[in-house]
Amino acid sequence: MARPSKDEIHYLLLKLHSLTGIVPIGAFLVIHICVNSLRTVGVWPYQLSIDAINNIPFLLIVEVAFIYVPLLFHSVMGFYVANIAKTNVHRYRYPRNGLYTLQRLTGAVVFVFLIYHLGTTVGPKLLEGKHHFEAAPFLIDIMNGEFQTWQGIVIYAIGIVSATFHFSNGLWGFCVSWGILIGEKAQRNGAIVFAMIGLVLTVLGMATVAEFNMNPIPVEATVAR
Amino acid sequence: MMNRKKKIVIVGGGLAGLALAMKFCERNGEATVVSYQSLKRSHSVCAQGGINAAIDAKNEGDTPEKHFYDTIKGGDFLAHQPLVRDMCYQAPTIIHLMDRMGVAFNRTGEGHLDFRRFGGTLYNRTAFAGATTGQQLVYALDEQVRRHVHDGSAKTLEWHEYLGAVLDSEGICRGAVIHDLRTDEIYTLQADAVVLATGGPGQVYGRSTNSVVNTGAAATTAYLQGAKYANGEFIQIHPTAIPGQDKLRLMSESARGEGGRVWVPRKANDTRNPKKIPENERYYFLEEKYPLFKNLVPRDVASREIYDIVYNQELGVAGDPMVYLDLTHKSREFLDNRLGGIMDIYTKFTGADPRETPMKIFPAVHYSMGGLWTDYGPDSHGLIDHGSPKNQMTSIQGLFAAGEADYQYHGANRLGANSLLSCIYTGLMMARGMMNYVDSLEKSVDDIPSTVFDDSCSHWKNRFSEIKKMKGSENPHKLHLELGEVMLANVLIVRDNESLEKASNEINDIETRFKDVKCLDTEDWANPSPSFINQLYCMIHLSKIITKGALLRNEFRGSHYKPDFDLIQPKDFDPHEYIDYLEQKQYGEVTEGKFPPGHLEYMKRFEENNEKWLKTTVAQYKNDQPDITYEEVNTSLVTPRPRKYD
Amino acid sequence: MTEKTITIKVKRQDTPNTPSYWQTFKVPHRPFANIISCLMEIQKTPTTQDGKNVNPVTWDCNCLEEVCGSCTMVINGQVRQACTALVDNLKKPIVLEPMSKFPVVRDLQVNRERMFENLKKVKAWIEIDGSHNIGEGPIMPDQDRAKRYVMSECMTCGCCLEACPQFTMDNSFLGAATFNQVRLFNLHPSGEMKKEERLDAVMGEGGIADCGNAQVCVEVCPKNIPLTESIGDIGRQTTWQLIKNLLTK
Repeated sequence: MARPSKDEIHYLLLKLHSLTGIVPIGAFLVIHICVNSLRTVGVWPYQLSIDAINNIPFLLIVEVAFIYVPLLFHSVMGFYVANIAKTNVHRYRYPRNGLYTLQRLTGAVVFVFLIYHLGTTVGPKLLEGKHHFEAAPFLIDIMNGEFQTWQGIVIYAIGIVSATFHFSNGLWGFCVSWGILIGEKAQRNGAIVFAMIGLVLTVLGMATVAEFNMNPIPVEATVAR
Repeated sequence: MMNRKKKIVIVGGGLAGLALAMKFCERNGEATVVSYQSLKRSHSVCAQGGINAAIDAKNEGDTPEKHFYDTIKGGDFLAHQPLVRDMCYQAPTIIHLMDRMGVAFNRTGEGHLDFRRFGGTLYNRTAFAGATTGQQLVYALDEQVRRHVHDGSAKTLEWHEYLGAVLDSEGICRGAVIHDLRTDEIYTLQADAVVLATGGPGQVYGRSTNSVVNTGAAATTAYLQGAKYANGEFIQIHPTAIPGQDKLRLMSESARGEGGRVWVPRKANDTRNPKKIPENERYYFLEEKYPLFKNLVPRDVASREIYDIVYNQELGVAGDPMVYLDLTHKSREFLDNRLGGIMDIYTKFTGADPRETPMKIFPAVHYSMGGLWTDYGPDSHGLIDHGSPKNQMTSIQGLFAAGEADYQYHGANRLGANSLLSCIYTGLMMARGMMNYVDSLEKSVDDIPSTVFDDSCSHWKNRFSEIKKMKGSENPHKLHLELGEVMLANVLIVRDNESLEKASNEINDIETRFKDVKCLDTEDWANPSPSFINQLYCMIHLSKIITKGALLRNEFRGSHYKPDFDLIQPKDFDPHEYIDYLEQKQYGEVTEGKFPPGHLEYMKRFEENNEKWLKTTVAQYKNDQPDITYEEVNTSLVTPRPRKYD
Repeated sequence: MTEKTITIKVKRQDTPNTPSYWQTFKVPHRPFANIISCLMEIQKTPTTQDGKNVNPVTWDCNCLEEVCGSCTMVINGQVRQACTALVDNLKKPIVLEPMSKFPVVRDLQVNRERMFENLKKVKAWIEIDGSHNIGEGPIMPDQDRAKRYVMSECMTCGCCLEACPQFTMDNSFLGAATFNQVRLFNLHPSGEMKKEERLDAVMGEGGIADCGNAQVCVEVCPKNIPLTESIGDIGRQTTWQLIKNLLTK
């Protein structure tokens, strides 16, 4: 294969930016929200799913390769993309232009939120060396704490809403830029479907927050096998 | 033999200029297209209805020969017949070529080209792309020229104005003086030949269906430099346009070609909603008077009828100078598919939807059949020798004209959808002859002393700096409007010598006042004022050509209608009688009793009139005035006869 | 009787390198007047509201019936054609500005060269063998023709680019008009033969992947061209091209 030109690299990077937003990042977001929302069903289903995750072989490598690296890439590219544009929704007040602007805004919000989220969870976890099956109880403890203050709730509410919006709107953008949705009608219907997906994810996320707030039950470390 | 490519300068980026540029580059020449604006914005984009070619796609028995006859008859026999015949025979090839270039022509169920009807013919002969055919054709040619620019064989000088031809000591055109409309620089381009494809002169009338750039200045400059200008008085008034402040917007003939009906309420000053007026109280005057061609009579006929209805019979809609053009009986889908472009224009500029309510329209200045006098080289089959260096050459050697800027194809009145054809045809046809012209030159432009160019250049530099110094009291734009008013009032559909005299005097007055014009803007960057003043000067001279030609031509022919000289055709006259009459005359046995009463007298009047007036008007610039002479018309193929459309 | 007048604020600029400034003019109101006829009035009496004689405002226009694409400007904050902007439908005072995404030449005139250069980049033409007589064009269903016709009405006016948040003076984004042209020519049976070259041209910096789908282009297009459909379709074509490039090159 010939060495790709600067133009080809640019194009590939942007395509990857779009793709990584859906898989693995979007997929992870969906799993993350869904798994955590099991908390609203009960402690045991929640416990079981955490165990299942912990049973993934080479979890650290998986996490780094499928979450942290794509996330970092998506963020860097996101800032680049936002930087070459100049929003103008104040002049051209069309719904889609508003969503376009919000997409960029929520991207930045989620980025800041993730720094906070990782800084208050994964950071201490690494610092205190809580690995593997010790990690879950440690993290859940932290979360239980987070949701007892209104500040924590507000921060997470903003983070979750921004992330679900960014994801579902991004899903639409992905479908258009990869040529899955072409016609005007198809694009409009797609937007409705993705809005509903976004809404469901938001409800699940917020329900989880509520559950943590009202029912801060500690999770036991499962017996190491 | 030159060891460089042949290079020509083409002024104008419309259909004719682009077609020539493409063809010339294809023949390994180098074309520089000079355009007042970006290419793609030329006035050709305004053509709406379509382009004629007798392909006979509807199995009606149409042939190029019939197309030829319709065109000649439509033009009241004033066009040179071999040229028109050649154009009509080339038309199918041109349509297929444009189709190959990707023009989105409407198509039939099987995927072939679709055709519709247009004025002055009984056949479905007009290929069309919605109602923006001109735009689509320009784009296709523009794309090909852009391709040649990309490949390095064509050059474009956009935002440049042509000021004049560079003539050497023998009077041969060796290049062009060009004005950069942004930097204000004036310089010369050397060329083996220069082509003026600069369109029509609608701006002489102030308000017309023409674009802002259609001042006719380039052609007039050629006239002022000694070129002959022919048939100037033949100005086509399009019967259907939307009245407006800044422009009279065209409402395509295709509206009638697709079934549009022209009518007025039978009762004068009827202010009822047109949809509420019952059928029997509507006067479909074209359909009643012309049962054969109905609403699709040629444009000169339709315009005169509308004028008559409004001003003589005083039946204009609600007393205003307007009549209805009605398409409301057609379905929305049909109209959107075939006439979408013009439906939108009407809606945008009047606020009324022509799919729901009849349009209100009135005739407007549209096209100049006249233009720079050009030559042609006939072959022995009544067609054209495409290799002849004479083709499209003006009376200045090395200066050519094409498209609306020349005069040869439409006689005294142009048929709808023939203008696009004549533009593309001339552009394509002349390329080979121009190549041969360059070969035939004894002296190449490379051997012309540079002083020839320097002199031309400094002439125009001086002219422009003189213009910039004009500090009089007249506003050039107001003066332009006045000129337009004079022309609209006196040199329009119905002409009489008294008004024409009056117009001449008023134009002379405007010419005097022109000397007292003020140059409003004296900046040296992107300043349109000096150019406009120069164009106004040209328009004044052009208006003199038109007016004097009209004044001197004491007859009624095509668009030039002088009621005082109407030969008054008997109502039951059949044009074939005239052929019988000529035949009988040839055998010396004209029998009075063989023709209905009055017919023979009419035919004698007609013959006598043709004897005198079936001639090309040629204007030449002498002593600051147009000097008018007349030239024979080539009528070698069909016998001129009275026109009749009912 | 006092004549009804309209106040027009114009953002002016004498040369590309000098700062812009504002001037206010009053013109008589006439029924069905559009912005062009107002500018023509200013040309006839180039005097500002406060009685100062100034150079007439310069602007671009030609056909005055919205097919040539010349007279694009920003009117009351929105980009559009000045000829179809009827003053009766506009908020007063009327504010006129040149397009902001193209270099100003003078006053309301801008240089849209970039758009025409882009047409060259994507080879927006059909590579015919020559203009000589080689028979009919390809047979094509009228539905395809109708699709192409709508796209080919693009008059390179620049509205879609002016309103596009992704298109700025200092990036190289090709913009909706250009993508639409790629689709137009890829849809033609002969044009399709150069499909890959055209797609390659939009698969680079400033290409289709840079589109952020704000979809303002389609809202401001005076010709109602389905630009977002064209963008979606070019998205699909380039996706296949990408896969093909990755797997076969």
